[in-house]
Amino acid sequence: MTSEEVRGGLRERFGEDILEFFEKSDKRLYMEVRIESLVTIASYIFKDLEARFHTASGVDTRTGIEVLYHFSIEDSGYLISVRVKLDRENPQVDSLSSVIIGAEWIEREMYELLGINFRGHPDLRRLLLSDLWPGGVYPLKADYKEWDKNAVRDRGV
Amino acid sequence: MKLPKIREIIEAVKALVHKPYTSNFPFKPHVPHPNFRGQPVYDPEKCVGCLACEEVCPSDALSHKDLIDDGRPRRQMIHYTDSCIFCGTCEAACIVDNQGIRLSQEWELSFFDRSTAFESIEKDLQLCEMCGSVIGCKDHLTWIAEKIGELAFSSPTLYQSRLKSIGIIDDNIVGVLKDFGRSDRVKILCARCRRKTTLTSDIVPFNLIGDGAK
Amino acid sequence: MAKSVITIGPYHPLQEEPELFRLTIEGEKVLNIDVMVGYNHRGIEKLSESRTFDQATFVIERICGICSTSHPFAYTRAVEDIIGLEVPERAKYIRTIVAEIERIHSHLLWMGLAGHFLGYNTVYMWVWKLREEILDVLEALTGNRNNYAMFKPGGVRRDINPDDISFVLKKIDGILPTIEMLKKAILDDPVLHARLKGIGTFTREEAIDYCALGPTSRASGVARDVRKDTAYGAYDRIDWDMIVTENGDVFDKAVIRILETYESVKIVKTCLQNLPGGEIDLNITSIPPGEGIGAHEAPRGETFHYVRSDGTNRPVRHKVRAPTFMNLPTLKATVPGCTISDATIILAAIDPCYCCTERMVAVRSPEGDLLYNGDDLVRLSQEKTASIMKRMGIK
Repeated sequence: MTSEEVRGGLRERFGEDILEFFEKSDKRLYMEVRIESLVTIASYIFKDLEARFHTASGVDTRTGIEVLYHFSIEDSGYLISVRVKLDRENPQVDSLSSVIIGAEWIEREMYELLGINFRGHPDLRRLLLSDLWPGGVYPLKADYKEWDKNAVRDRGV
Repeated sequence: MKLPKIREIIEAVKALVHKPYTSNFPFKPHVPHPNFRGQPVYDPEKCVGCLACEEVCPSDALSHKDLIDDGRPRRQMIHYTDSCIFCGTCEAACIVDNQGIRLSQEWELSFFDRSTAFESIEKDLQLCEMCGSVIGCKDHLTWIAEKIGELAFSSPTLYQSRLKSIGIIDDNIVGVLKDFGRSDRVKILCARCRRKTTLTSDIVPFNLIGDGAK
Repeated sequence: MAKSVITIGPYHPLQEEPELFRLTIEGEKVLNIDVMVGYNHRGIEKLSESRTFDQATFVIERICGICSTSHPFAYTRAVEDIIGLEVPERAKYIRTIVAEIERIHSHLLWMGLAGHFLGYNTVYMWVWKLREEILDVLEALTGNRNNYAMFKPGGVRRDINPDDISFVLKKIDGILPTIEMLKKAILDDPVLHARLKGIGTFTREEAIDYCALGPTSRASGVARDVRKDTAYGAYDRIDWDMIVTENGDVFDKAVIRILETYESVKIVKTCLQNLPGGEIDLNITSIPPGEGIGAHEAPRGETFHYVRSDGTNRPVRHKVRAPTFMNLPTLKATVPGCTISDATIILAAIDPCYCCTERMVAVRSPEGDLLYNGDDLVRLSQEKTASIMKRMGIK
């Protein structure tokens, strides 16, 4: 499918769910969608368009927590990024791991670094941080404060 | 399966006949390739003390100390060997044609006492002749004056630095007359004092100046 | 038979990087594997937020020592994607040359390790001796054996001298006969066929579902390679082939890596002979607000970086996703069902690079029973090879 057809297809099927459609160039597309329709749109892109799931990025911005899911259509190098905006106090979204097995680890990483709860994830536990790290402290959030008083901060001399 | 064996036997014989690939290191010194990036070294003649290298260093391995309390104000530029990542950004950012700090081929940098792991040079510092705050290194002001050519005459700080460096004017003659007013304009001043002396005139009452002060 | 749990890791002398695997075994067969990572997490994503765009390249380079080009390459492409710029031609060629020489050295490193795990220590020593020639080439071109400090948003930092080009070409031509010998030795050996064929098979559907990358997915017939799909660097100007095989077992992964080394040599020679003149850097002074995505095909798969900027001189968010992150969960599909002595070679076949996978530090001691440790597992694997050789009558 050409990028024109991809764009047309997405607009046609999910018109009301797409809140913002930004074509940055002919190889990059950024779409903001409603939280409830995320799994449907993601499975359409993954299964019907046969795109590959790269990864998901969580960003803590001034207006809330955003999660971007990046997919790309192989032969043309066309990259689609699907964005959902979550509430900062209680960020929750449905997990994609039922549709894409490769999304399991990335959702675990976002859970421990940003505090997002993924509903329906089979095994939501810590991936990277140690057990000594206190619960409820999320390093990538903007209001993260250093909690370890014994850590060495200077040049060591 | 004879053929594969011959191939490998040839390689084995070659490996036996040639000397080992490794060299007998501590007994035979290792000379790196000329393009190797080793430890950065300051050049005391060329460096002007502008601190551009310190701004761009990614690992905070360069820093400075301004020593102004004793009679000879000077700026000490320090390079910490243990934090340096040998990236060469300091050399690329140096304003004196990339020669004030250069990457040498030194790589044997181990030490026993971490507090000795630094290299430093000192450059003379220029203080403001009215308030005594730091303006910059003397060589830096001379460098700027040379770079902008005749435009240096718009700022007494710059042209006086240049003239002092070539020995035409003397320190004491200009510094001794302090009246903190308009005639202090023609001195080497920091930005704040220069603004004050250009805009105010404390000694002579305003209404008795001719047509100059408006 | 009773089930027991074997812990491999997190620290033992034969692994280069700490990681913890828990294998649940029954008799000789592996029933389940649990991979725990997190021993190498260094907080690089958070660190990029306190450095300017130019300084962050040095932090990014040190995510990994083996794939030290792939991360800066993807990061600089992401920053240039925010503005929508194309770097000058000469910079594209220089970037491609450094990236492909790095691919040669990384695949040679893997070949040596695979040889070691299987018990062929001679292959290990010879291949790593060969790799030293490549590291000398890198020292001549960039100034250091790894962590090259060549990449910069907008171009490259240093130029290539014409005198160095002949040195590089001579060294690369010098290693070709030895690689040829190793290729034939590995591909014709019946013990290796018995050891590696049919082990750790990964089907095409699983490769698509797990989103596997790099040689791990190309061995299963999924033709994915960022260098072919997107036009960047000098890859679209040179004629080279993507290697794809069908079976998905460990033998195919080895074949792909060896053949890719030849392709990389071809690309490097063509680039060096046709290096265009011109500028090497665009001298970008400021980055406008926006977001950008950059990807590069590292020796292990596709590296993906996402950068968001808000107009200041520091990134607001920098997300790094290394290829091993997507390849490690595939062990859940390939390891259960094999015997313990094959576990090590299947773990090594995805060419794991744990430094790239995580990015913060934590120290933790392993719990659980230690019936065998990792040392023993490699020994079991080497013993299996010896027994196959005896069975086939080869000494």
